[in-house]
Amino acid sequence: MQELVAIASLGSVYLLFALGLSTAWGTIGILNFAHGAIFVSAAYGCYELLEVRQLPVLVLAVVAVLIGAAMSLLMQVLVFDQVRRRASSERAAETRILIGGIGVAMLPIALASHQTKNMAFGLSASGFEASVWTIGGVRVSSVQVATVVCAVGAAAALAWYLRRTRAGLALRSLGVDDQVAALMGIDRRRYAWATMAVAGGLAGLAGVLLTLNLGAISAESGDALLIKAFACVVLGGVGSTLGVVVGCFTLAASEVWVLTQTSGMWVEAVSFGIIFAVLLLRPQGIFGRQEVRRV
Amino acid sequence: MSAFYASNLVLVQATLVAILLALSIQVPLRLGVFSLAGVGSYGIGAYVSANLVLREEMGAVPTMLVSGLVAAAVGLVLGVVIYRLAGLYLAMATIAFDLTVGVVALNGGEWTGGPVGLFGVFADLTMGLLFGTVVLVLVLVHLTEVGRLARRITTVREDPELAASMGVNVRAYRLTAFVVSGFLGGLAGCLNTLTRSAVGLQDVSFHLVVVALTTIIVGGALSWRGAVIGAVLFTWLPSVLEVVGEWQEFVYGLIVVLAAIFLPTGLYGLWCSARRRVVERFRPPVRPRRPDEPDVPAATVAPEHEVAAR
Repeated sequence: MQELVAIASLGSVYLLFALGLSTAWGTIGILNFAHGAIFVSAAYGCYELLEVRQLPVLVLAVVAVLIGAAMSLLMQVLVFDQVRRRASSERAAETRILIGGIGVAMLPIALASHQTKNMAFGLSASGFEASVWTIGGVRVSSVQVATVVCAVGAAAALAWYLRRTRAGLALRSLGVDDQVAALMGIDRRRYAWATMAVAGGLAGLAGVLLTLNLGAISAESGDALLIKAFACVVLGGVGSTLGVVVGCFTLAASEVWVLTQTSGMWVEAVSFGIIFAVLLLRPQGIFGRQEVRRV
Repeated sequence: MSAFYASNLVLVQATLVAILLALSIQVPLRLGVFSLAGVGSYGIGAYVSANLVLREEMGAVPTMLVSGLVAAAVGLVLGVVIYRLAGLYLAMATIAFDLTVGVVALNGGEWTGGPVGLFGVFADLTMGLLFGTVVLVLVLVHLTEVGRLARRITTVREDPELAASMGVNVRAYRLTAFVVSGFLGGLAGCLNTLTRSAVGLQDVSFHLVVVALTTIIVGGALSWRGAVIGAVLFTWLPSVLEVVGEWQEFVYGLIVVLAAIFLPTGLYGLWCSARRRVVERFRPPVRPRRPDEPDVPAATVAPEHEVAAR
């Protein structure tokens, strides 16, 4: 039972992080390698803010969402838009966006690790203490509950938005063929900005929740999370919200299982194994649609 | 003075290794295969060569050959398995391969030395041998950039269907790319181990993917000259960047971003287009047309000339 709580909270952090990544990739075609940097920066921004004055945890969460959204939007405007505008072809743009993302990720991480002297940082100055309940021998903390609620809520809202609204339809059409979508009068740029802002906001929220959950994170933790999020997205199928949910909880369950079965050194290999196996057996992911362009 | 010489010797060696590592990613890229498996091969070559020298007491040349061939064999197996993938999916699968090599290195027990790594790997590698190997590789790569082979490679990259219809075995070319990438990566890893006489987890980290990728993107992806320019730049940059002190990583990231936006063909491409512009400026001016000369291109005129001659 205790494992189930661990799976639920771990999977929810992955979900908050991977939702934005998957949506941006599946709709506006941007595989953002700087997503992990946004995650860390939001947590770090809150940490710096707490050095100045104590803030309630709810305000911190809002601040983290705002920092994440602003950074993500800035990256889109200053880097990804520019790369796409200058690239000769769609394929060239894909590669350069990946590399631009790697470069852009180095900037805030260099800043954060310089300011923290490569030490892990936490949000202890917020004065927030997670309350822990014991229900039938299972320990559950309030942060874990909040993480699960936020993640499931965000996934449900996103799925509803993409499936049931006109704007969601427009966004999905960009994922299928952005040129035809543009001919139909869909403003690609505006949707790209909105998508990136939402993705960054979710990553920022994940950053604060994971930092509260673990007590402290380091400036490099974003990279490891990024690879795991790729595994979730690839497993579920790019652009499919249900796929990301299933992918995240499957990865969390596999990791917790490996952690209890082995000495723990092999946990890192689980996500790579999943990426590899899925790409070989079902490249479009569990819930992905068959796409000609991809393979 | 001797300290200056020693530190620069290390930089020269690092540059040569960086060239090979960059080529291991650039060669498949020139065939349209966005594979980052060269970094994993680098790790394999590094650990295999350390074991060969420490356990079998092998010399430098056989160690280089065996590590390269082992990495090439792994590359071939990988290529056969993930041949179907393309684009970002291929990149991601190969990144997963690179990171798996890292996890295996961490958990490999006495074969890899775990988190500590292996030390005291001494072989008879001379500077001449190192330099000669890199020059030989560069010459061989250059041969793939001129003549018929270069045109085939370009066609396989730009239009695989067209290449196949012209009788080019696209699959064989792509698999060869994996093998060559594996060999070059393995060789780079081996030479890195032999020059530093140690191997550790830093030789299998994700950071290497970033370094190798940025090397060829900033240098230029379509010629070995780009790899050389990038390798020199990024190996020597840190010593130049000492003026900015702790902000090196920041400047490094900034360079990568600016290159991704403004240098679609890398520094080498920039140099090529600049040279072309200069050549065009100094080309002799076009002769002014005579008033009675026809206002149509020569190609459409030619048949009438033939008719008139008959």
